[in-house]
Amino acid sequence: MEPSPSQETIVAAHYGRLRRLCRLLLGDPQEAEDVVQEVFLKAHEAERLARAPMDWGAWLTRVAVNGCRDRRRAGGWMRFRLRSTHIDDLPLVADTPAPSEAAISEDTRRRIWAAFRDLPRRQQEVFALRYIEEQPTTDVAQALGLSPGSVKRHLYRAVRHLRRALGDAR
Amino acid sequence: MSPCLSDDALERVHADLGSIAERAHLAGCAACTGRSRRMRRDLDLITAVLRETREPLTHVAPVRRRWIPAAVGLSVAALALLVWVEVAVWRAVTPVPATMQPQEVAAILSDVSASLFSVNGDPVRATADDGPLTLEGMARDVDSTLTGDEP
Repeated sequence: MEPSPSQETIVAAHYGRLRRLCRLLLGDPQEAEDVVQEVFLKAHEAERLARAPMDWGAWLTRVAVNGCRDRRRAGGWMRFRLRSTHIDDLPLVADTPAPSEAAISEDTRRRIWAAFRDLPRRQQEVFALRYIEEQPTTDVAQALGLSPGSVKRHLYRAVRHLRRALGDAR
Repeated sequence: MSPCLSDDALERVHADLGSIAERAHLAGCAACTGRSRRMRRDLDLITAVLRETREPLTHVAPVRRRWIPAAVGLSVAALALLVWVEVAVWRAVTPVPATMQPQEVAAILSDVSASLFSVNGDPVRATADDGPLTLEGMARDVDSTLTGDEP
């Protein structure tokens, strides 16, 4: 049997992608950071209780998505925090955009982000896992507790909505 | 050959929801293949934006809160209407206290007179058995008490 990876290895392998996924699903960097910390605490707990999953990646993704859902359900004061920006997240050099940002017009970026935020929660999750995390449809279905057919339908609706938003910008 | 696929059909094929006929058409049609590639590029752009760029700080949140003043106004109006209806209904169903009947006034006056002018100890209380009291009767009672005559 393969030895279980250490906590450091798990964190190093998954921290970045989980943080990005949670930021995408929550829209608030501070909330996302909190959820990621909770996910790794749960991972530590699972390992301590000898309940380590076979596939850490899928397990962490599922726990992170559930954590984001709980946060979104948590109530008004949580949503109020979306209005504010944590000081650590303010760009230090505001007038020099990253090359990837410079290549895409401000209007296009705004439209895409707004269209993504307009998507229903489930479609956001499916799109994020399938295209941002580049997970296969079956893994997405497993992580979200859906059938593969349902994942495809959510994905179809999400892509159609996002492309329409982009189409208006062209 | 079948007609070219609509954008919707192309998106279905792209999501792996297309029919066999649609997929077969796409495989053999240069125009549809070109449109499918364009769709793929759009998707790459969307993915790149969501993956690599910061979310703009101001999104649609303020617009969504426009309903709050309207909701507050409606709530206040509804509350005022409710209070008004309650008061109106309360007034309609609550009986107005009846004014005193002449008999009751006469009985009270009689008691007062009996108390004031009693000459032999405790006053005699007026009772309903004494028959209907009238002002004339009361005057006679007072007269007889003052003069000492039997009524």
